[in-house]
Amino acid sequence: MGNEPAHTITRYDQELDRLRGIVARMGGLVERQTAQAITAVVNQNEEAALEPPELDPEVDALEREAEMLAIRILALRAPMAVDLRVIVAVLKMSGDLERIGDYASSIARRAGKVEVLDGAISFSALRAMARLVQENLHMAVESMVENDAERAQEVWKADTAVDELYTTMFRELVTYMMEDPRKIGPCIHLLFVAKNLERIGDHATNIAERVYYAVTGEMLPSVRPRGGAARTNIEQPE
Amino acid sequence: MSIEVPVKTAGMTQPDSAAAPKEAPHPVAMQVKGLNFYYGTSHALHDISLDFPERSVTGMIGPSGCGKSTLLRVLNRMYDLYPGQRATGEVIFDKQNILNSGVDLNVLRSRIGMVFQKPTPFPMSIYDNIAFGIRLHERVSRSEMDGRVEDALRRVALWPEVQDRLSASATALSGGQQQRLCIARTIAVRPEVILLDEPTSALDPVSTARIEELLDELKTEFTIAIVTHNMQQAARCADQVAFFYMGRLIEVDSTARMFTTPREQQTQDYITGRFG
Repeated sequence: MGNEPAHTITRYDQELDRLRGIVARMGGLVERQTAQAITAVVNQNEEAALEPPELDPEVDALEREAEMLAIRILALRAPMAVDLRVIVAVLKMSGDLERIGDYASSIARRAGKVEVLDGAISFSALRAMARLVQENLHMAVESMVENDAERAQEVWKADTAVDELYTTMFRELVTYMMEDPRKIGPCIHLLFVAKNLERIGDHATNIAERVYYAVTGEMLPSVRPRGGAARTNIEQPE
Repeated sequence: MSIEVPVKTAGMTQPDSAAAPKEAPHPVAMQVKGLNFYYGTSHALHDISLDFPERSVTGMIGPSGCGKSTLLRVLNRMYDLYPGQRATGEVIFDKQNILNSGVDLNVLRSRIGMVFQKPTPFPMSIYDNIAFGIRLHERVSRSEMDGRVEDALRRVALWPEVQDRLSASATALSGGQQQRLCIARTIAVRPEVILLDEPTSALDPVSTARIEELLDELKTEFTIAIVTHNMQQAARCADQVAFFYMGRLIEVDSTARMFTTPREQQTQDYITGRFG
């Protein structure tokens, strides 16, 4: 999508470049937010917890800027084909990126609430999930910046593993809560952290789908290969 | 006890690619097969094959000199009027190759009408502009002729504007009115195909919109081929779009597909404004 020959009208190219620059900047910011939010929870790092909410206003402002510029280009340039696809993709991706920022902030705000678990619950599943989500988000942003449909498709496939880890964590936490009701509070917060991570993974997948469409003109199938769906019933041990 | 983990719904719905709602395909009204065209020694069209579906609008786009107008002029043998121009290949219309030498051109042009870029009203009354073509092909009574003229003018939405001055000169009409008169003149002889060569390029946006609206109505009855330089017009009016470049047909597809996901790089470069 950035690999096309130049437009006859130079200003048009400049506007499209600016639009791509805005979402690239958003991608960098929300990656940072997500990384800091995860550090805040997993390493119980209070300082890291402050950063994601602080970055939120900037991400929000960029989303508005992307939207205004996209509308302007649609109105004034009547874009067609690959240009049209890129602009529509940017409109949708900027929304996804903004949501990712919100989820990261929400995770960061819960960091202090899971503290009391104090080693009673291992963070291993959460760490694994966080690592995967971060990888996927990074690949999605990269595929967006580099117009890489192949990498976008990889992200799209990889989200299944995130869903499976979320299901595992869900079961684990429900078991803890049943064993010791005093842990319900922090467990619920941890569950929300996991849920928010899972949502970040989903939005990364959406971004990958948009990149794939913008680059190739084809939609990925509506149903993604998934592993966790069949095993979502959790039986209480007798 | 069993706890349901909320199962999220899959991310995206799959629109039916970029295509319009599926309809039964229209039968082909006119079929161009292996057409080559020469202006003297200059080879203007190279091996063109293109179907024109019945009762739908085919838009023909491409840069100046790409051959789109030439193709249009082949479709009703307009080129026959000029020496040194010849076509090889086939244009099948009503089971007949209209390029054959035995074809009656007057009959052919009454069945395949043409509207040009600049409005071309005859220097006679509004009424006679319409009646002229009908008289060429048919013998009709005065009262029947009145009906045919009114009907043609009504169908191009010109009747309310001219019904009180049918005997006034057609050249006094505005550009947009003149062009609608020319379309009325074309449909008055009840053709099957209407060819339009940039019919709105000399008109203002309101007159243009009226002609485009008119095409939308006419296509329920006629097969329409329109050459246009205005990409938005092709997008608005056409059901299928053909892109020509240097005398070759590069790509033809449904309009929605052509303007969102063209297959050929040349098409993409042209419609996105990246051409040379």
